[in-house]
Amino acid sequence: MDASLSLRGIRKTFPGILAVDGVDLDLYPGEIHALVGENGAGKSTLSAIAFGEMRPDEGTVTARGTVGLVHQHFELIGRLRVWQNVLLGREPHRGWRIDEGAARERVLAIAQRNGLEIDPNAFVDSLPIGVQQRVELLRELDRDPTVLLLDEPTAALAPAEIESFFATVVQLAARGTAIMIVTHKLQEVIAYAKRVTVMRHGKVVERVLTAQTSIDAIARAMVGGAVPAVAARAPTELTPCLHVKDLCAGSGATQLRDFFLDVRGGEIVGIAGVEGNGQSTLADALAGLIEYTGIIERSGTMSSIPQDRQREGLVMNWSLVENALLGRQHRKAARRGPELDRMRARADTQAIRERFDVRAANLDVAVRTLSGGNQQKLVVGRALIDTPAFVLAYNPTRGVDVGAAALVQSRLMEARNSGIAVLLISFELDEILTLADHVIVMYRGAVLGSFDRDAFDRAAIGRLMAGSS
Amino acid sequence: MNRYTRAFAGPLGAIALIVVLMSLAMIVAGTSPIDGFTALFVGALGGRNEIGETLVATTALLFPALGICLAFRAGLFNIGAEGQLLVGALCAGALGAALTVPGPLGIFLMLVAGAIGGGMWGAIAGWMKARFGANEIIATLMLNFVAAAFALELVSGPLRGPLAAGAETAWLEPKYWLPALLPGTRLSIALLFALALAVLLQWVLARTVFGYDLRASGEAPEAARRSGINLGRITWLALTLSGAIAGVGGATIVSGELHRFNTQLSPGYGFTAIAVALVGDLQPLWICLAAFGFGILESGGLAMQASAQVPKDAIHVIEGLIIFVLAARRYVATRVEGTLP
Repeated sequence: MDASLSLRGIRKTFPGILAVDGVDLDLYPGEIHALVGENGAGKSTLSAIAFGEMRPDEGTVTARGTVGLVHQHFELIGRLRVWQNVLLGREPHRGWRIDEGAARERVLAIAQRNGLEIDPNAFVDSLPIGVQQRVELLRELDRDPTVLLLDEPTAALAPAEIESFFATVVQLAARGTAIMIVTHKLQEVIAYAKRVTVMRHGKVVERVLTAQTSIDAIARAMVGGAVPAVAARAPTELTPCLHVKDLCAGSGATQLRDFFLDVRGGEIVGIAGVEGNGQSTLADALAGLIEYTGIIERSGTMSSIPQDRQREGLVMNWSLVENALLGRQHRKAARRGPELDRMRARADTQAIRERFDVRAANLDVAVRTLSGGNQQKLVVGRALIDTPAFVLAYNPTRGVDVGAAALVQSRLMEARNSGIAVLLISFELDEILTLADHVIVMYRGAVLGSFDRDAFDRAAIGRLMAGSS
Repeated sequence: MNRYTRAFAGPLGAIALIVVLMSLAMIVAGTSPIDGFTALFVGALGGRNEIGETLVATTALLFPALGICLAFRAGLFNIGAEGQLLVGALCAGALGAALTVPGPLGIFLMLVAGAIGGGMWGAIAGWMKARFGANEIIATLMLNFVAAAFALELVSGPLRGPLAAGAETAWLEPKYWLPALLPGTRLSIALLFALALAVLLQWVLARTVFGYDLRASGEAPEAARRSGINLGRITWLALTLSGAIAGVGGATIVSGELHRFNTQLSPGYGFTAIAVALVGDLQPLWICLAAFGFGILESGGLAMQASAQVPKDAIHVIEGLIIFVLAARRYVATRVEGTLP
């Protein structure tokens, strides 16, 4: 059988980085192929080249038919209707006018053919994330692609949405579309893909049938050795720290409604929920950044690991030293007279760099030059260095590679073991199940259920996250 | 590039650019660049009086440029230094004409009046932005016109000097004149104040908590807000201080140079100072050098017109081009970095 998409000897360099180094890849009709690797392994560059968005320095790309790409971050226009997004640039027209009736019918027809339910007239803004992704997928399907590339397609979906998404993907493959999924969720790789290609440092290090491998084996190939384990959970003495009751804040879909929780020193409380259910409102209210009604009582100091490190946590043009001071600069200990104590700031930064394995040429380089994982380790280190009473960790391992994620999770566990109260808000259910002592499921700004560690029930939590009890 | 070569490349690149642009302007005007530059430098630095005038212009540019630097570093595009300088000068001139205290105290009070006047003018824009989210570019720009009209109205009427020919306040008593720095020229010790202020500002920005908060707000407002910095407070404080520095500059023109206030006292120093601040890479110490460069242009331009037949307006064309090219250079730099994976 001929390949639908064939990459041969692909090489691509960026200044100072060899991103892809001699990669061959064939995608066959009807195959679901997973592409995995740590951050910076070259997956995104390779998919951009396969899609034709980027030109390789060396090598050839041969495609039969069209190649479609569904981006990780949706590229939709929220204020337009579903059909307008799906057919953007390809609208059926009569003379110079768009034929709206024909457009709607066309969108419905593609949706029905692929078993997707959609209202072509709905505004994209008003749709939940899972449905928005359907719109993104429909837009590619309208072009009838022979090859479909999916970049982290399930990153923002609830477990139930993930299942229905893959049902569609499997159906597409059955009808002969070649599908490549770029992902870091290895369970999905094993469950749905036929073959998996593992990349490390721009090279293919392994390519096997998923039936002949395991999650552990893939993870080992990704990091090139044993995956570091998360630090062990130690028995702790619980002390009251954060008490939240009847909390209302924000507006619209992310409004908090009578939210309540308690976090004690020596435990990790996890907030499980699909993105966009009020997690950000909760984080902002706890940090005192927005107005709220209700009770938030906290004893002791607080520090945060913000969700978006580049925008909310770091000054990208600043050095490690200056960034390590951000949020800590108003403490008495940070000053010497009217000046910032620069010696101390350097010493603190060096301590963070060593304990959190922040890899940088020196303390004076701009954090912009660090990889995402190292930036995140700096942000986490900064939040923990002064041993606060309470830490708010919002997606602390989002978009970082396996090694860095394990280190961050270990340090959070150690913080808990040492008596710090940790609130973990994460869109990764696995991360919550790994770390938390207690899970609260958040849906549309309210508490929908809670579980103690000895009663964790993955299926039940997943159902609650989707809003059904 | 490391940060040292970057620090050098900015100002030196800008100077090279000035030379190239000026040469082109001279060729267009029909003069050889060698004759033009000779006339310019002789006119600006060829003697005691020439040097004095160049340093007078340097001082007049340096104060508003330092004020602009402070606001820009906080991410606030204060283009109202002209108005802030004018209000500062007006307050100092009005107070100085009415004073009956010992000389040094009087001078001190005039400088304070300048700071208060300019600071108030900056604070209006700061308050509008912090309280209502008004765009500070529009607010500061428009306040320039308000300041000019306001000053003209006052010195045409209530503040007009009894013997004044035009819209001017009364002459200051000589004891309220800033002492001369270079005897026989109009250069006063205001230059020393400006240089000291530059050192102080460099220290505040680089070493103090306030400077840190201010820079964080300018570089990454969202990260700054989350680190516990009150952005509204930084906004009005930065614009107030920025205006106050320009206002002190206005006061030194009144007390050190003209010895009274008139509405024509600034030939657009507050606008040229934007270019000075940018050429100086928003670093106070480099800004001192940039102000000297622009001082040469301002005072040598006149001589260049007289002896090399290059119109003085060519200088303003060049200043405009410099702002334009610098803005483009920054944009290009971010675009180039942005293309990395």
